[in-house]
Amino acid sequence: MERPKIGVFSLTGCGGDQLMILNLEDVLLDLLSYFDIKDFQEISSFKEDSDLDIAFVEGSVSTKQDLRKLKEIRARCKMLIAIGNCAISGGIQAMKNGQMEILERMKRVYGIEEDIYGVLEPKGLSAYVKVDLEIPGCPIEKEETLRAITSILHGDMPDQFDYPVCVECKLKEYPCVLIEKNLPCLGPIIVAGCGARCPGLGLPCIGCRGPIKEEANAAAELEVLLSKGYDEEHIVNLMRIFCANFGEIKKITEIIRRRSGKGRQE
Amino acid sequence: MNRERRIEIAEITRVEGHGRVEVIIEGNRIRDVKMAIFEGPRFFEALVEGVRYDIVPDIMRRICGICTASHSLASIRAIEKAFNIIPTKQTELLRDLLIHGEVIESHALHLFMLALPDYLGFPDVIRMARKHPEMVKAALMLKKAGNLVHNIVSGREVHGMNDMIGGFSKVPNEEELLKIRKAMEESKRTAQLAVDLFVRAGTPKFVESENILMALDPGEKFGYIGDYVTISTGDYYPVEEYEKLTNEKSVDYSHARLSTYRGSPFMVGALSRLLLNGKKLSGTARELFKEQKDLLTHRNSLMNNLAQSIEIVHCVERCIEDIDALLSTGLVDEVVEIEPRARRGVGAVEAPRGVLYHDYTFDEDGRVVKANVITPTAQNMANIEKDLRIATQRLINQPDEKIKRVLEQIVRAYDPCISCSVHLMRIKS
Repeated sequence: MERPKIGVFSLTGCGGDQLMILNLEDVLLDLLSYFDIKDFQEISSFKEDSDLDIAFVEGSVSTKQDLRKLKEIRARCKMLIAIGNCAISGGIQAMKNGQMEILERMKRVYGIEEDIYGVLEPKGLSAYVKVDLEIPGCPIEKEETLRAITSILHGDMPDQFDYPVCVECKLKEYPCVLIEKNLPCLGPIIVAGCGARCPGLGLPCIGCRGPIKEEANAAAELEVLLSKGYDEEHIVNLMRIFCANFGEIKKITEIIRRRSGKGRQE
Repeated sequence: MNRERRIEIAEITRVEGHGRVEVIIEGNRIRDVKMAIFEGPRFFEALVEGVRYDIVPDIMRRICGICTASHSLASIRAIEKAFNIIPTKQTELLRDLLIHGEVIESHALHLFMLALPDYLGFPDVIRMARKHPEMVKAALMLKKAGNLVHNIVSGREVHGMNDMIGGFSKVPNEEELLKIRKAMEESKRTAQLAVDLFVRAGTPKFVESENILMALDPGEKFGYIGDYVTISTGDYYPVEEYEKLTNEKSVDYSHARLSTYRGSPFMVGALSRLLLNGKKLSGTARELFKEQKDLLTHRNSLMNNLAQSIEIVHCVERCIEDIDALLSTGLVDEVVEIEPRARRGVGAVEAPRGVLYHDYTFDEDGRVVKANVITPTAQNMANIEKDLRIATQRLINQPDEKIKRVLEQIVRAYDPCISCSVHLMRIKS
């Protein structure tokens, strides 16, 4: 059987998702041997401009250059897989989307007005091109990624989680940090697959896998956290760390902005 | 005849992030050397503005996937200093363990998977593994031992969450620490193998020149956490005065903003740490440092690879030492009261690539008013350009391909983390 031709690419991000693939130390060399790697800048100087069966892409589209690169990748691959939250929804750098103009962010951090970067408001890949599969997480989970890759090698599409972190948390019989410790846990609206890692350590879920698609009831979560005594601004900041580009969270930001009467720039 | 010759490496490979090198030569004179960054900016300092202190480390540790625990600890230490929180002895030991584990993971990745293929003549570790399968497997196990520390102490390999302001949410138990200890015992041989490999591979001398070195003073013992910066010029500063040391400015020959100390480029990272603090090493690492003293000169930045390999030996031994110290007193759950204050705090650690500063100012409710982060790669950038210039001058009569290979090898020796550095760098479009 001919080995699938693959490329692993990164746009704007921390490199953590590619790194999670390299962190599959026990199986890494075997795993890579199943593929014909045509482009993997982080670990290889070998590069071939050929068509690809699969492209793995991490990072958000945050510059015009990212967008050009993404379109080139899409044009040369049969299957495009977004790995990690930056590639799915813009990730943490999208946190202030809709709250602070990207050029304002640049001015505050670099003290410059002129757009020398060609910056774009950070977004996920699917805002611009067709994405065939999304593997969530900040960072992605090793086991889930390995399962997905194995399924694809067998010609199947992997199963995706469609229930919240709370389900895994209950299955593991962890004490509920929201009810018992009054911590601002986002577990009810965040997609499972991490094995409720944070509640297992006695910490609240901060949402690094992103919301359950179509089903996250962010308004109800907001009410629960308000009843626990958290202030609105903090709750919104918390929800926005990983989910700022999602409709439900955008709506909530807007409601709270109106309620508090704060005229933040849009 | 002043014909212009242009040498360009369109994308540096086997480094974290996206960068480009461009050299312009006129006749026998180098007109311009640029290490240009085209990684997208993320503006972390703007992201945390107005955010309450308790989620600041969760945001800031995501600056980097590789040195995530370093960012985490620098961030936590800055907040603790602002709020006047003194960590317990147990917390200090667990943090020491965590950062030593991170250095093992990061250095093992860099040395075996990214740098060594240069020395052995392979385009990557995958092809190197076909010829040297046992060595690569051993290297992966060494890397895994470092990651085990991340997993157990911070909660996972990348962007852990268990290390927090005041200490740790869940203190590791004895069984978990013994698991790390066993992995470290089993890694000792591979750690020393790295030193042998880089000594035998020989290190080229095409960048030999004076370098100013900078590192945190780790206190009594060699390590990665400290509150003062020591410099090879003999100067010594509290980390709060870091702006005097990093002194960023734009220069006309490059689009990058460069860090200089008193007008000169300087170097941070493993070589600087060993040469400034090596006398504080103990055990096998101390022996190896003494043995390789002649090779480890401040005049050759490429020796950073060899320095990293000796650091791995140190880190493996230190993890065992920290675990023994933790087990001898027994582990306890600790609760620390946190009271926000309207103050500024600067926290620094030695990340695998060098000194890393986080600086926050809070309002009275503990919300960030102002944030600033200076990464080691940003500090090294001016020195990298200096070395690229020197090497090009020495190799000026060589063909472009040869020069390109050398320039890429120089950049790689600094183990740059471009994703981290980018919030300080101007890109060249």
